[in-house]
Amino acid sequence: MQGEARVKVWDAPVRLFHWLLVLLFAFMFFSGKAGSEWLEWHVRAGYAVLSLVLFRVLWGFFGSTHARFGSFLSGPAACIECLRHLMKRTPSPYAGHNPLGGWMVLVLLLALLFQAGTGLFSNDDVLFEGPLASLVSKAMSDRLSGWHAWNFNLLLLLAGLHIVAVLYHAGFMKENLIGAMFTGVKRMPAAAAGSAATRFASPWLALALLCVAAFAVFLIVKRPF
Amino acid sequence: MRTKLLAAATVIAALGGASLEALAQAKPDVLVKQRQAAMVLQAKYLGPIGAMMKGAAPYNADVVALNATFLENLARMPWDGFDASTKGEKSKTKPEAFSDPAKFKAAADQLESATAKLGAVARAKDEAGVKAAFGAVAKACGGCHDSFREK
Repeated sequence: MQGEARVKVWDAPVRLFHWLLVLLFAFMFFSGKAGSEWLEWHVRAGYAVLSLVLFRVLWGFFGSTHARFGSFLSGPAACIECLRHLMKRTPSPYAGHNPLGGWMVLVLLLALLFQAGTGLFSNDDVLFEGPLASLVSKAMSDRLSGWHAWNFNLLLLLAGLHIVAVLYHAGFMKENLIGAMFTGVKRMPAAAAGSAATRFASPWLALALLCVAAFAVFLIVKRPF
Repeated sequence: MRTKLLAAATVIAALGGASLEALAQAKPDVLVKQRQAAMVLQAKYLGPIGAMMKGAAPYNADVVALNATFLENLARMPWDGFDASTKGEKSKTKPEAFSDPAKFKAAADQLESATAKLGAVARAKDEAGVKAAFGAVAKACGGCHDSFREK
């Protein structure tokens, strides 16, 4: 094998998004289970999660190369090829997400959107009503509250799978994906690095898109019109 | 006249007792409906006070007094509906409501005492007292749901 190169693949917005989401996810887990006394903070943090996820969706269209859906959502052939590498534990140098990881990103984002979406319509049968609960019947709000509780189990499962996958990469394929998500830098074969030309979008654009996402959440929550 | 009235009252009281007994023998699915009805009405009368506490609606001492009095009475109604015979009925009640009756009773008592306090200050038109007492009522609702109701 030829020499290794250090390639910057994850921009700061992606990394900040990821780790903020981890912290918020832990808090949502705790505050969701801790009971009604934490509900108020659960709701507030939920708005933050929704803002972050909406930002990430926008960043998937307007962000840096490896943040874009178009760059990491690949066809079945690539996924099978990737799976084969994983099974044989042969290193498969992908600068951004590997094909399976890419789809996992989409699944995680969709599950989070569903979680936030159902939360907006939920109620706790005491005093809390999600900001959109008044748009649907009580029975529907109750149903969506139930889905909110159930979908969290799915999220836990997905998060667990995500963690197992990166640990598998670290343990069996000698790929330090976790470190890369902190530093943004991946170590990979120089040959593969050459093909990893990355265009980084401006962090100011990221900030602007985050503001757009947060403003959209504000409009959903306050419905000033 | 007086004796007749007394006799009538005795008959009515006896009938009342009889009907309470009949309630205790109500079918499990009916008991579930009845306890849920009590809860639904609690939500009805809690909601407007909650809106006033949040500042979403202007404070109205008369509405608060009426609603708090209703709540105080409604708070005593659901519990005999959690009869052991309802264990297998479809509802959001967790098994713990039946397996840990002491804790369940404590949670029920908490709501009764919290709503009694709220009723007293509400009827006295004591706005500051209502603000102080309201939190305990909401907490009693939520606390009991956390322990005994499925999400």
